Amino acid sequence: MTSPRQRAIAEFVLDHLVWFMLAFVLIVFSIFVPNFFQVGIFANIVEQSTFVGVMAIGLAIVIIAGHMDLSVESTAALAAMITGILFCSRGIGIGLTLTPEWLVLPLSLIIALAIGAAIGLLNGFFVIRLKMTAFIVTLASFIWVRGLVVAISGGRSAQDLAPSIRVIGIYQILNVPLIAWIAIACFAVFSFIMTRTPFGRHVTLVGGNSVAAFRAGIKVDRLLFISFILAGAIAGLAGWLLAIRTSGATANLGVGMLFHAFAAVVIGGVSLKGGVGRLPGVYAGVLLLSSINTAINLMGLPAHYTQVIQGMLVLAAVLLDTLKLQIRQRFA
Amino acid sequence: MNRIRRLLTASIAIAAVGLVSPAFAQSKGKIYYMVPTLLDEFQTESVSSLTKFLGDVGYEVVTLNADNKTDLQQSQMNDTILLKPAAIVLAAVDFNALVPSIEKARAAGIPVVQFDRQIKSTPSDFTSVAGTIEIGYVAAGEVQRLLKEKNGAVKGKILQVLGDPADPYTLDIQQGFEEKMKEFPDAQIISLPAMMWEASNAGTIVSDQIVANPDIDLIFLHAAHLSVAAVAALEAKGKKPGDVMLMSSNGAPVGLDLIRKGWLNVEVEQPLYAQSAAVAMFADKIVNKQEIKAGTYNVLGLESTVTIEAWGPNIKIPGAAITKDNVDEPRFWGNLKAPTDKIMPVE
Repeated sequence: MTSPRQRAIAEFVLDHLVWFMLAFVLIVFSIFVPNFFQVGIFANIVEQSTFVGVMAIGLAIVIIAGHMDLSVESTAALAAMITGILFCSRGIGIGLTLTPEWLVLPLSLIIALAIGAAIGLLNGFFVIRLKMTAFIVTLASFIWVRGLVVAISGGRSAQDLAPSIRVIGIYQILNVPLIAWIAIACFAVFSFIMTRTPFGRHVTLVGGNSVAAFRAGIKVDRLLFISFILAGAIAGLAGWLLAIRTSGATANLGVGMLFHAFAAVVIGGVSLKGGVGRLPGVYAGVLLLSSINTAINLMGLPAHYTQVIQGMLVLAAVLLDTLKLQIRQRFA
Repeated sequence: MNRIRRLLTASIAIAAVGLVSPAFAQSKGKIYYMVPTLLDEFQTESVSSLTKFLGDVGYEVVTLNADNKTDLQQSQMNDTILLKPAAIVLAAVDFNALVPSIEKARAAGIPVVQFDRQIKSTPSDFTSVAGTIEIGYVAAGEVQRLLKEKNGAVKGKILQVLGDPADPYTLDIQQGFEEKMKEFPDAQIISLPAMMWEASNAGTIVSDQIVANPDIDLIFLHAAHLSVAAVAALEAKGKKPGDVMLMSSNGAPVGLDLIRKGWLNVEVEQPLYAQSAAVAMFADKIVNKQEIKAGTYNVLGLESTVTIEAWGPNIKIPGAAITKDNVDEPRFWGNLKAPTDKIMPVE
């Protein structure tokens, strides 16, 4: 027999397991990895989590809604490339300027979001209206959107992003660049939306059982459409941030980030079956991966180990998820 | 229904016109160029320069992009062999895996040219390379010079940012670089790979290392596009041009721009235009299976040496170190001013 208090503690630990894992990993690295324990490194971890983190938000929303979006990486790359082409002054950049100069900041952001939303809309159309499988539709988008990046850039790069946009990547608050604060703000806003608004609760319901949600009067198709558009727009935001970080764009920018975003989503406790998952957990997952990456950089281990460890972490996360279910059943 | 049928017919017609029309072009034949990827500027420009120079000597170039996938390039080779082109120019994704395809093509009577990436384990009809290990040598020489200028001797801390660790190109540069740096034990080298040659991965490495090792004297990145992200990372850490010495290789336009802005000290260039021009100069001899004689040849003003090696005739074109003193010279492909003079075939 377990007391309600014991049960509450166990529930809390199970719900926030990834945060405990993160704390454990940070303590271990701080003790054993030379030069790890310093403010600059922790700031780096937060900064480096920005792009995969933002991308993972949109991905998590679609997965919680019971679908999948493999196109987020290429969408981010396209948004980054178009930002680069329009607002970079070197390479293939055309160096668009506005008066006053700061206007390029909101304009570039709106363009990046619009590009992402358009791809999300297209994905949504094929999946919801034409009833095609999300996996196939977004896989196709993953391929054609990257192809579009190569086609519009001709394989060349854009550099020297307008200083009024670059300021986001350079300006720091509490030793952490503004781009990282944008990622943190995104997690805060979307965590609120997912838990405290009807939209978020309905997305979770739809992902858990779309038929039941439909019978309960929820407009399932509309909700899924919005989820895909949101995922695309958020990927566009990730691309915009990526262009800021690298002061431009190359045709292969962001390659491999989809898998990291997926890993973070799974490690963060989002069920690939849909209907389960919280965004703060996803952020912890991203921070965990970033911490491991940084530790490997500092230890000078071959980068292949990062992939091995990430793969094992995903497996461990799925295993823990299964264990969590069993433990919950014992407490029930 | 009729409308759909009409659209379908029109699409097929357009596709057919697109596919068939090049066949009417007057040329000595088609040469297939197997480009490993189109995701970097060197490769993109290699397509343009080979198309231009081989066009000068009467050949039509068809390019197939392998997207950095070995298996895809193998399939492309198999398909191309069936088309019986005048020759195949191969920039191999993988130095070993493509050997059977090269042998198969040559057995079918199709000459194979190795471009940019040297394969020594099987004979080819011609090889045109800058020498990736040699790029490492040139880079080491420049690092030694820069460290001596800064510290009075070849000592200090170097961060070497490789490309993808599965790419032999970057491993060769690393091998050449470290071989020449071995004799200077006071120069400490920290080597880390930027997975998939992705720029933000390089930025991450630089921002971590500059915090953990603030005494880094020099950062050597194996491609110019990686140095853009490195500069952005340094800028975010409050660094100014000249605070940390920077060097990269391949000579892409981005690298040259960074030299002009004062961030990059040296760019080790691969002589792309000369490498392409050399293929065109010898194309007739390669296609007609005539003897290529060893000796020194002038390729776009660069004194290049043809040697007859176990793997066939090999032309090696010297790479160059680009600094702020010579950055504007048009011979560097990073300035994207391809020579307009017609290439003349070697008699």
